[in-house]
Amino acid sequence: MSTLLVNAGGLTLMAAIVWWFWLSPSEASGSNNDHSHHH
Amino acid sequence: MSENTALHPALSISGASCQGCVSKIRGALEPLTGSADRVEVNLDEQTVALPDGIDTGEAARIVTEAGYPASPLEAAPTSGPALEGDHCRSDKSQPDAGTGHKPEQEKGKSQGTGDDDQIHLAVTGATCASCVNTIEKALKSVDGITGAHMNLADNTATATGDADPQVLIKAVENAGYNASVIEDPDAADDLKQEEDRKRYKTLLVKMAISLSLGLGLMIWGMGFGTMMVTEANQMTWMALGILTLGVMVATGGHFYTGAWKAFRHHNANMDTLIALGTGTAWVYSIVVTSIPYALPEMARHVYFEASAMIIGLINLGQALELRAKGKTSEAVRRLLDLRAKTARVIRDGEEQDLPVEQVRAGDHIRVRPGESLPVDGEITEGKTRIDESMLTGEPMPVSKGEGDEVSAGTLNTHGSIIYKATRVGSETALAQIIRLVKKAQGSKPAIGRLADKISSVFVPSVMLIAVVSALVWYNVGPEPAVVHMMVAATTVLIIACPCALGLATPMSVMVGVGKAAEYGALIRQGDALQTAGKLDLVILDKTGTITEGHPAVTRFHATDDDTGRLLALAAGLEQHSEHPLAEAIMAKAKEQDASPENITGFEAHNGKGVKGELNGQSLRLGNRRWLESEGVDLAGLQTEADVITSEAGTPLFLALGDKPVGVIGVADAVKQDSQAAIRRLHDAGIRVMMVTGDVDATARAIAQKTGIDDYRAEVLPEDKASIVSEMRSKGYTVAMVGDGINDAPALAAADVGFAIGTGTDVAIESAGITLMRGSLHGVADAIEISRATVRNIHQNLFGAFIYNSMGIPVAAGLLYPLWGILMSPILAGAAMSLSSVTVVTNANRLRLFKTSNNADKEGNE
Repeated sequence: MSTLLVNAGGLTLMAAIVWWFWLSPSEASGSNNDHSHHH
Repeated sequence: MSENTALHPALSISGASCQGCVSKIRGALEPLTGSADRVEVNLDEQTVALPDGIDTGEAARIVTEAGYPASPLEAAPTSGPALEGDHCRSDKSQPDAGTGHKPEQEKGKSQGTGDDDQIHLAVTGATCASCVNTIEKALKSVDGITGAHMNLADNTATATGDADPQVLIKAVENAGYNASVIEDPDAADDLKQEEDRKRYKTLLVKMAISLSLGLGLMIWGMGFGTMMVTEANQMTWMALGILTLGVMVATGGHFYTGAWKAFRHHNANMDTLIALGTGTAWVYSIVVTSIPYALPEMARHVYFEASAMIIGLINLGQALELRAKGKTSEAVRRLLDLRAKTARVIRDGEEQDLPVEQVRAGDHIRVRPGESLPVDGEITEGKTRIDESMLTGEPMPVSKGEGDEVSAGTLNTHGSIIYKATRVGSETALAQIIRLVKKAQGSKPAIGRLADKISSVFVPSVMLIAVVSALVWYNVGPEPAVVHMMVAATTVLIIACPCALGLATPMSVMVGVGKAAEYGALIRQGDALQTAGKLDLVILDKTGTITEGHPAVTRFHATDDDTGRLLALAAGLEQHSEHPLAEAIMAKAKEQDASPENITGFEAHNGKGVKGELNGQSLRLGNRRWLESEGVDLAGLQTEADVITSEAGTPLFLALGDKPVGVIGVADAVKQDSQAAIRRLHDAGIRVMMVTGDVDATARAIAQKTGIDDYRAEVLPEDKASIVSEMRSKGYTVAMVGDGINDAPALAAADVGFAIGTGTDVAIESAGITLMRGSLHGVADAIEISRATVRNIHQNLFGAFIYNSMGIPVAAGLLYPLWGILMSPILAGAAMSLSSVTVVTNANRLRLFKTSNNADKEGNE
């Protein structure tokens, strides 16, 4: 049970890292004022 | 110039002031528009016209990167007066030493700063390459900003464009850092130095506190007790855990706030890794301490000492780094120290000592022997010798008298003089040199931009690697699995900090640019520094570059033997010209008591000669090709002309109407050290070529005398650029060395343009590299320094990459299956600090670099 929980937690953490740093738009380079990321 | 009708003003630019700038902008935009003809630059209005359908944002970015701050017209309408910059600034008194004459529009051109559209910010909280990337991105995202540039080496950011500084500060803050506007970049230096000193001390104190706690815990745990939590020591460990937290916050708080700010804005940087690494170790330890029985017995190990030690070591690393960073900017500080604090100003007949800030242009200033000159100006009384070595690298003091120009920061060695201030404050040559050096030190060569790109994806990737290694340890590692997974994840996070990567390029660039300045070579862009190291062909302009540029009349011959009239007519024409050849003829006429004839309708024909009218008849003085094309028969002067050319002189023919009047031979002596400098270029494996407007025989004589490999004679000024392009298309990496306005297109067309300034008349921004003294040794020096700098950057980047690429697998435990080695997080912290310190130290090693010329001299002594 704990093995399953730790692995699931780890995978979720990895997904969260990918989503937070790569996929979700950031405020600094956000949609309202960033010219370089919108084509 | 262009026949395109579909061009519309699209960009507002600043800093473009001559045809060199025009060709550079057109060349830069060529890839975007498909042809340079589809770009039109209006110097008067400071606008660029482009065809419809071109991405003006992209065009503005390209032009800004080419060195001319630009913004799309719809974003920043040009309602105000045209901005004036100083890209092609050349002092009025400096004649165009090539074959052309000075364009009228150059006269009285702005002596401004060239920084018109730049906003300088002091940024705090940036620690690594990821921060640089984040800050640059945040600044560029502000409306009206076309370019942004963060320099980690001195923690400043420069935004180009038109925006409210407060909006920029907000953008930087939103990205997780703090910023303030630098009102006066010069004054900011002293302030920054003071702040750095304070920060250094604070870091040392913080380091001492956290290291003593960490070491104490380690000694206590290992020597007298245990690092394992037992029923007996549980409360003690709890108390120590809370103490550790207090120390972590007090001495490493900046890492946690930095990491949190970055995280909120979807960024990750070095702080993120340190915060996660030390945080993981502390959280794990406090869990073990609170509920030891929930974990297997072997896993009840605490790592409080690791958290404290890591923060201590990183603080130590940052303190050492800060101190070394201070040393790299020594070159600028040396220049800053040249500024005089006060000036003895004569106002209303009275002499008074005033702070230098209060000196106005037009003031008369007295300077006594041994004093430094406070501002730029022109001597009105007295004679002296001035030591200009600090600006030009020229060791011998230069004799100066009435009418001669003098520069701020130079030293009056001999007599007492009075001079009239012409340029004060930020307009002096010294201030411009300082600004240029600082700007170049902050600029990033292509190789540095690559490192930044890599590190922006680096930190989140490391976080993924840390999780993966933790899971692997948990699933297939030996017991105690929980401890191993925590240690592996923490170590990976700590060892992977990309701070060395972020410092690798800017540190070396800073030292390299400073070193070049020491040798009298001003490098304008990091790219020029990088490219200069790869040069394999140097094209030299002849006049003023290989030769003295002060020609003298060696022979003259009149068809009717009336040499007095010949000189009077020639002087009549040349009195209207500022060309060096004109000066030579005027001097000869004066010497022979030939008073200049009154000539009307003067016209200068670039690269051909000069023309005027005498009593309704046309009078021409110029080269053979031009006069013959105008129908003048010069056969009768052939013998005399041959003698002149065989002596490396240039024959100038004078014709009244279509009748030849005579020939005047003008020769320009080869500079004493040209031959030695050319030999140095050969030694560096570089081919040397000369271009000149002179006839073949003159060019050959000079080429033979100086050891030049190849030459092109009878080249028109406008053809120099096409020769440069031709050699580039043959695969050479080409440097063009020239000194005149008419060389500007060729300088811009070359991979690296070297502008030779004579004395302190620095045509500062017309080339990638400006040499402050006339000697060609400057070219060889700059190339050698550039090669050493690029080598240094490579070493740094190689070291940083190797460190990270080898450190991460070892930290993740790759060596464990082989030899049972699992790295300790403390060791990772030490290694990380060591890597930054190594990079900074290696960059500092460049400060000891000596060019071959200098080394030879010292070797002979």
